[in-house]
Amino acid sequence: MRSYITVLLVFACLAHAHATVRVVTTLSDLADLTQRVGGDRVKVDYIVRGNQNPHFVEVKPSYMMKLKSADVFLMIGMELEMWAPQIIDGSRNNSLDVVDLSKPIQKLEVPSKVDASQGDVHRFGNPHYWLDPRNIRTVVGEIVEVLGRSSPADEQYFRANAETYLKKLDAKIGEWESTMKPLRGSKIVTFHKSWSYFANWLGLDVAGEVEPKPGIPPSPSHTAELIQLIRAGNIKAIIVEPFYDTSASEQIARSTNAKVLQLATSVGGVSAAKDYVSMMDYNISTLARAVQ
Amino acid sequence: MPFFSHCIVIAILLLLILGQSIAQTTVSPDISVIPRFLLESNDGEKLAAGKHEFSAPDFSFQELEVAISSYLNPFARADVILTLPGPDVEAGKLGLEELYATVVRGLPLDLNLRLGKYRADFGKLNLVHPHAWPFITQPLSQEKFFGEEGLNDLGISASVLLPTGDVYTKLTVDLLRGTAIGGVTGIEDTMGNKPLYSNSARLMSFFTLTDESDLEVGLSGYTGIHDPYNHDRFWYANLDFKYKYRPSSYTSFVLQGEYLLNTRTASQDHDLRQFVDANGNPERRSVTTSGFYIYTDYQFFKTYSIGARYDWSQSPYSKDDKGQAFAVFLGYYPVEETLGLRLQYQITKTELPEAAQSVNAIALQMLFSLGPHKAHPF
Repeated sequence: MRSYITVLLVFACLAHAHATVRVVTTLSDLADLTQRVGGDRVKVDYIVRGNQNPHFVEVKPSYMMKLKSADVFLMIGMELEMWAPQIIDGSRNNSLDVVDLSKPIQKLEVPSKVDASQGDVHRFGNPHYWLDPRNIRTVVGEIVEVLGRSSPADEQYFRANAETYLKKLDAKIGEWESTMKPLRGSKIVTFHKSWSYFANWLGLDVAGEVEPKPGIPPSPSHTAELIQLIRAGNIKAIIVEPFYDTSASEQIARSTNAKVLQLATSVGGVSAAKDYVSMMDYNISTLARAVQ
Repeated sequence: MPFFSHCIVIAILLLLILGQSIAQTTVSPDISVIPRFLLESNDGEKLAAGKHEFSAPDFSFQELEVAISSYLNPFARADVILTLPGPDVEAGKLGLEELYATVVRGLPLDLNLRLGKYRADFGKLNLVHPHAWPFITQPLSQEKFFGEEGLNDLGISASVLLPTGDVYTKLTVDLLRGTAIGGVTGIEDTMGNKPLYSNSARLMSFFTLTDESDLEVGLSGYTGIHDPYNHDRFWYANLDFKYKYRPSSYTSFVLQGEYLLNTRTASQDHDLRQFVDANGNPERRSVTTSGFYIYTDYQFFKTYSIGARYDWSQSPYSKDDKGQAFAVFLGYYPVEETLGLRLQYQITKTELPEAAQSVNAIALQMLFSLGPHKAHPF
C-alpha cells in the first residue's frame, strides 16, 4: 500500500513540475512561436486563422471557451485586436494572464492625430510588427518571460528552446536579407498598410496602397492615380493579404506591368506558410522572383 | 418611483462611485452616436376608402441612439444608451433606453451580474438594437408580444456558464420590475403603487460546426402579471436559433428564427374589453397564442447584403387577431459600418374577425455611426 502511495506521490510531483501551460494567442504566428518556446510543456491554441483578417473578428462564444480554460492570452496589441476585450470578459476567467506583446516593440507610423478622416488608423502606431523577423527576438523574449511566470520550474527549458529557435531564426534572417539585398530600394505597392515593418527591414519603398486610406475601399480616382504611379515607377509587385479581395489589385495589374502577389501575413495564410519561418521563406522567395 | 427602482438606481450610483474611487486615473468612455432616417411610402392610408394608393414618400427622422460605455474598474463595466425617438427631431426628448452596470469578473462561480435598465437576454433579436438589424421593421411577433421597445426593463440579471465541455452554454436569469409588459401586451397599471415583478430566463448553447459555420440555439421563458387589476399572469416560452456561414470577410449567410408561445389567463383584453361567455356573462379565459419570424441575410462583396423575412403572429389576447408579413431587403454599407443604406419592401396582412387587409410599404433607411465600433457578437 505504502509503495502505491509513493508511486502516486512521485507521479503527482512530476506532473506538478511539468504542468502544462495552456496558452491562447490571437494570431497563428504567436501560436507557432509559443509552441517553439514551450515545447511539450505548453498547450497552444489561437483565434484568428491565417486567412482571416485580424482587424475584424466576430465575437463568438467558442472563442470565450478557448480563453476560459487558458492560463495565458497573448496578443499582438496596439489595438489590432479591438475585439479581444469582449472575448476576455466573456471568458469569465479571473486568473487569465493577458499579455500585450507590443510593449517593447519599436513602433512605426504612430500618428500625431487620430480621427476617422484618416481611415482605420491605429492610435498607437502600425501594429503589423511581427512581419519584421527582427522583432521576433523581442516577442520570443516576452513569451519566455510569460511562460516562466506561469511555470517557474520550466523557465530554463523555455529559455533553452528560445535560444535554439532564435539561432535558427537568425540564420534565416541572414539568408532572407542576402536574397533581398540586390532589391533594396525597389518600389512596391501594397493593398493595406500591413507591410511597413517588412519593407522597413528589407529597405523596400512602399510607393502606395490600393486602399486610399486604411480600411477604405479603393475608389476609381485613386485606382487611376495608382496606375499612373506604378507605370511611372515601373513597379513590379502589388502585395495583397490572403483575406482581401484581389479584384481591384488585379484590375491595376492588368493596366500595368505589375504582378499581384498574395503574401501571407500569418501562419496558414497560404498553404506554404506552415510556420513562421516557412511563411517568411514563401514571402521572400515570391517577392524576390517578382521584383527581380 | 417604487422601492425596487430606488434600490437599483442607488446600487448603480454606488458602483459608479466605487469605480471612480478605485481608479483615480480616469479614461474617457467610448461614445457612439447613431442616427437613423427613413424615407417611406405605403398604400395603407386610404384603405378605409377602399383605395390602394401609395402615399407621397415621407422623409422622417427615425431615432438617434447615443451609446456610452466604459470599464468602471477591473471588475465591472457600465453602459448607457440614450435615445431620441422620431419623428419630431426638434421637440423629441432624449430618453434612457438602457443604463446598467455589469460585473464581469471577481464573483464566485464566474457569475456575471447586471443591474439597471436593460434589454433582457430573451430570444436572439431582443438584445440587438434596431440599427444593427439587417431589415428596417420589427418582426410582427416581437412587436405584438413585446412592443416596439422589446423586453427592456429595470432589473437584476445573473448569468453563469454551465459545465458542458467545449460547448458554450449560458444560463441567464432576470428579476425584472415587470413594467415592460404593460402598455403594449398587458394592461397598464395606472395605480402604479404595487410592484408587479416578472422573471425571465434564457438557456443558450453555441456550437461550432466547421471553421466557417456556427449555430446558436436558445430557449427562453418569461412570466409576469399582465393584468394588475385581476392579477392575471402570462407565460412566454421562446425558441430561437441562428446559423451563420462566413467563408470570408466578404461573404456571409445568416439564417435566424424565433418561435414564441404565449399562454395567459385573462378577464379583459388590452383595450379593457371584458371577456364574456355565450350568455354575456363575464368570464376569465385561458388564451394560448403564438408567433414566429424567420429571416435570411446574404452578405456579398463585403458592402452589400440581401435578405428576406417572413413573420406570422397572433395577438397576445386572441387567436383570431393575427397577421403575417413578408419583407425583402437590400443593404449597402460602403465604408464598413460608418454609413448604411437599407431598402425594404414589405407586405403586411392583418386578419381580424371582422375584417382583413393588406398593406404594401417601401422604405429606405439611412444611418451613420459616429464613434468607435465594437466588434459584433455572433
